[in-house]
Amino acid sequence: MKKGDITFSVIGLGLSLWLILESQKFDYASKFGIGPGFFPFWLGIILAAFSLFRFIISLKQKYDAEDLKPRLPGWGSLGRIGLIMLIMAGFALVMNGLGFILTVFLFVSIILFILEGDSILKSIFYGVMFSAAVFLVFRYWLEVDLPRGLLGI
Amino acid sequence: MDIFNSLMQGFATVLTPFNIWMAVIGCFFGTIVGILPGLGPSATIAMLIPLTFGMNATPAMIMMCAIYYGAMYGGSTTSILLNVPGESASVATTIDGYQMARQGRGGAALGISAIGSFVAGILGTIGLMLICVPLAKFALKFGPAEFFSLIVMGLLTIVYVGGKSISKSLMSGVIGMALGTIGIDVIQGAPRFVYDLPELMDGVSFITVVMGIFGIGEVLVSAEERMKITPIHVKFKDLWPTVAEVWQSKWAILRGTAIGFFMGALPGAGATISSFVAYAVEKGVAKNPERFGKGAIEGVAAPESANNACTSGAMVHLLALGIPGSGATAVMLGALMLYGLKPGPMMFHTNPDFVWALIASMFVGNVILIVMNLPMIPFFAMGLRIPYRYLYPGILLICIIGAYSLSSSIYDVWVMLIFGVIGYFMKKFDIPGAPMGIALILGPMLEYNLYRALALSRGDLTVFFTRPISATLLAIAAIMTILFSSKTIRVKRKMLEEVEE
Repeated sequence: MKKGDITFSVIGLGLSLWLILESQKFDYASKFGIGPGFFPFWLGIILAAFSLFRFIISLKQKYDAEDLKPRLPGWGSLGRIGLIMLIMAGFALVMNGLGFILTVFLFVSIILFILEGDSILKSIFYGVMFSAAVFLVFRYWLEVDLPRGLLGI
Repeated sequence: MDIFNSLMQGFATVLTPFNIWMAVIGCFFGTIVGILPGLGPSATIAMLIPLTFGMNATPAMIMMCAIYYGAMYGGSTTSILLNVPGESASVATTIDGYQMARQGRGGAALGISAIGSFVAGILGTIGLMLICVPLAKFALKFGPAEFFSLIVMGLLTIVYVGGKSISKSLMSGVIGMALGTIGIDVIQGAPRFVYDLPELMDGVSFITVVMGIFGIGEVLVSAEERMKITPIHVKFKDLWPTVAEVWQSKWAILRGTAIGFFMGALPGAGATISSFVAYAVEKGVAKNPERFGKGAIEGVAAPESANNACTSGAMVHLLALGIPGSGATAVMLGALMLYGLKPGPMMFHTNPDFVWALIASMFVGNVILIVMNLPMIPFFAMGLRIPYRYLYPGILLICIIGAYSLSSSIYDVWVMLIFGVIGYFMKKFDIPGAPMGIALILGPMLEYNLYRALALSRGDLTVFFTRPISATLLAIAAIMTILFSSKTIRVKRKMLEEVEE
């Protein structure tokens, strides 16, 4: 947790620096009072103060054994998370081309087959079921405008 | 009499087949969401907003409100049957609820939770109705300086009470406000932090961020490990608590309702804390406090009543002041804006039909909730047997559909995925997401009111301290800052965290 807190405060400091520098591109004051640069500038200053405070606290504070336990899971679980995000990114990339319903089929089948270790037939079955459910609920019943792709489905 | 007539008009609007159907759907989805560990009401309301775009604002908000209090009710099912709270607001229920289930009294625990939630929902809505109107009238006196101070006070309360670490909550809130500065600025109407990306002109969508942090982020945390849960079996005939048990719980329900409503009406105090306070009060006033933790029915009745009454309390400042006090009401505020409504004191004058229909729908929704849920508890409990590996792809799909439908663009899906990853790490490192979400929606309001207040006072900063209401609100914020910095409070917060864990 200590490492996590230090990392968060460093990210906060980086963000605050970015805010302060970028806010210089906008007017600090306007004819009627504050300008568009005023608010982000002060947000940057406040964030820098809190981040610095957190950084110092993280270095000084005595953490007990429970706090020092790693918060992130092992590589296996992180790999699962990474794969889920990759599959979702793939979904976003191909859904306009393949169409939403077909992409749902691939998404569910791949998750169940690769990540959850289901048999290929079971994965395909659930893929079809999810696609049918999305089609019926979202396209047919709620009439949500989902991409149809090259195949028109 | 005025309130009564307005409420009757509200009932006339609500009691149409379509609006009742929306309330039923909301209660159903809300209960399911409450039951599923890892998906909160904020994310669910956010996901379902795009699906209501074709609707009128009234049925859409009726559904969202129903999801909110449905989720509060549903959270108790997993707390009692699995010892796994579906919502953080149901953590206190696990203490005695699960013990009751282990002793074969799970049905009675679920039954008293439903009865307590119903009573709290109805009494809380009466409280909302009685407080909202005078508060909205009072808030008509507010100018930009008062709104600025109110938002500052609200944000600080959310930060101080909501998170485990105040400094992390403050940082999360400031980052949320910084995100809110992206897009067309509220002062000169010029692009700010847009970097020639047309998608950023409208700013970072609050709904997408909430879906990412609370939807995708939570699912990733739950999907990390292969979850295996086995609920305790409940039979329909065992669902009803005995008359003696209901009688025994009457004061617990009433006290829980009062605590939940008033804590809900404080920005940021929230359902989780109010349920713990209700539990602690019940244990404190009990003749035999040693029964608590071993299956005392009051230990279920009080927190469940408190977390349901809290939803009505949280609606007070959303409707009367236009300031959200919790993640779910912040999402509702975002939804109201999408529908072109401006929440706040003027809404009682500009859209009275809408406001009163919403309040009337809370009465109807609570009746639907108890009528629908009591017989369906075994069904919902059965739903818990569905392996999580078949649930999470569905939740992810609804998130994608929700984000895509916002503007029929893949851009929102990417933003949601990015915030999903951020949300996962925030969760892992105990960085609260609620301050960021709420600050994202309140940040532009804060800047706009700051600008207007200074423009009206010709740049005089003392305007915030010389106007009595504004000065009082800032004084409250200052007192809170001093209180929460004190060692005693920090020690108590630490104790609360330990109980929660």
